[in-house]
Amino acid sequence: MSQRQLSTWLLPVVSIVLVALFLFPVYWLVVTSFKAEGEIFRSPPTWFPQTIYLKAYTEQLSGSSYNIFEGFRNSAIIAFGALAISTVLAVPASYGLARFKFPGMHLFLLLFLVTQMLPASLILTPLFIQFKHLGLIGSSYWGTILANATAGIPFSVVTLRTYFATLPKELEESAKIDGCGLFGTFVRIMIPIAVPGVVVAMVFSFLFAWGDLIFGMTFIGKEHMRPITAGIYNFLGFQSTSWNNTMAFGTVSIIPVVLIFIFIQRYIVSGLTNGAVKG
Amino acid sequence: MARSMERAAGYLFVLPALLYMLFFVGYPIVDNFRLSLFDVNVMNIARGDQPFVGLGNYKELFDQGVILTTLTNTLIYTVACIVFQFIVGLGFALLFSRPFRMAERLRGLVMISWLLPATITAMTFKFMFGTSGGIVNELLAMLHLSGGPVEWLVTPFTAMFALVLANTWIGIPFNMMLLTTGLTTIPKDIYESAAIDGANAVQRFFRLTLPLLKPAILSLLVLGFIYTFKVFDLVLIMTHGGPVNATQMMSTYAYKLSFDEFNFSQGAAASNLMFLVLLVIGFIYLRLVYREEVKGA
Repeated sequence: MSQRQLSTWLLPVVSIVLVALFLFPVYWLVVTSFKAEGEIFRSPPTWFPQTIYLKAYTEQLSGSSYNIFEGFRNSAIIAFGALAISTVLAVPASYGLARFKFPGMHLFLLLFLVTQMLPASLILTPLFIQFKHLGLIGSSYWGTILANATAGIPFSVVTLRTYFATLPKELEESAKIDGCGLFGTFVRIMIPIAVPGVVVAMVFSFLFAWGDLIFGMTFIGKEHMRPITAGIYNFLGFQSTSWNNTMAFGTVSIIPVVLIFIFIQRYIVSGLTNGAVKG
Repeated sequence: MARSMERAAGYLFVLPALLYMLFFVGYPIVDNFRLSLFDVNVMNIARGDQPFVGLGNYKELFDQGVILTTLTNTLIYTVACIVFQFIVGLGFALLFSRPFRMAERLRGLVMISWLLPATITAMTFKFMFGTSGGIVNELLAMLHLSGGPVEWLVTPFTAMFALVLANTWIGIPFNMMLLTTGLTTIPKDIYESAAIDGANAVQRFFRLTLPLLKPAILSLLVLGFIYTFKVFDLVLIMTHGGPVNATQMMSTYAYKLSFDEFNFSQGAAASNLMFLVLLVIGFIYLRLVYREEVKGA
């Protein structure tokens, strides 16, 4: 077979099949949430629901034990909270590290790189005790929000620093000539230009917090305030797991991820490679 | 800009984030070390009269022996995951680096598994590895590959295997992306001259592609180690460390000590030991990559 035939049909076909197989778990998650309990355990399995069964979703509206939409709201509060803190702190920090020379800057960058790698379980116990003293444990989102921002900040600083460093220095110089102060230049000139980079940092800060389980389940005691991930964890703990309900939880909680993916896939790829390997 | 001005500005921009991290990460790390030297439990946590026990918590952990099991488990899990992720990731990276329509888009689609919350992935794989009605067992039965339903998550070896498989699925895009970036840095004309010299595809792969990818592979392996070693959500949901600690990891064990048994100081000691392992690996990583990072500044 010629090289041209290979790339016109064989490679695409093989690739599509491989990617479809690879993403099968996502398909199975969504499809199962639309099956009736009896159909889920049918052998041989049905590859597509024979009847689309929406009870796993509608049941939630009638206010059963754990409410899917409540969980969604809680996850959103936590994720947007962590995203806000992370963005406000990390954008200036990354700019400072990219543009100014001052004693300690290499050490600071090193600290951000290192904290990016720390396991959440390392800081969990001390934070729990610290937050308990501050009254942030139990019926408050704050402990979880504050803890989750510690994942977004170092990632954003490292990614955005690279981004700011690639912008031409002339931008600031001409702004200065036009009478812009240091802070004015940063807010009015640099941030608008860095929007694509900032968006990537924001997306990842959001996703880290959206997927968080350990902080949410440890710091939030009130069932109705827990994020969707903690709700799923509790649900799976029961003896007889209701799989279509659990899968409905799962499907709802991947909606933001899929939406983000559809809209800014291109940026995510560059963000991932920038933040992870620099060199 | 005046020197002192620049310094002041630098600190002004960086300090808020730095202080935040010092307060919510730096201080807890120090406090975790302090906790591990005292006897802090649910009874005396509020009072503040916890007795100093020196290295007693560490000694007790080693006497009980579970900590060594968790260390072995975590290492086996981490190495197995890295190997599988790397092989499949490299395969995808090579496949999608061929020039064909949709290559970009398909590569992007693979990213989804990396972006999903680990809880959701864990739950889906737990469902798929279910003993009765799980799709894995159903497929094995359809293909006549098994003598009966396999109890995946309640048998030590298969439980570990299922965890490795689930995490491999999560980690493949990460490996693929970093290797893709590595591949783009290899100049194309090297291959052309190698082909002219009569090197076949296999030789080109082992003599050119792999050696030239070495920097990317090195940082990939170290980063992969660190990210995989931290595993928590996946294990907690799929096996809860069972059966009988067969898949208990360092992180889940530390969590169990602190928040199931409320022995905060032993939990702290266990997570410090985990930290120690990561510190050694992290040091290697920084030697490999940090120098580049500073040079790029």
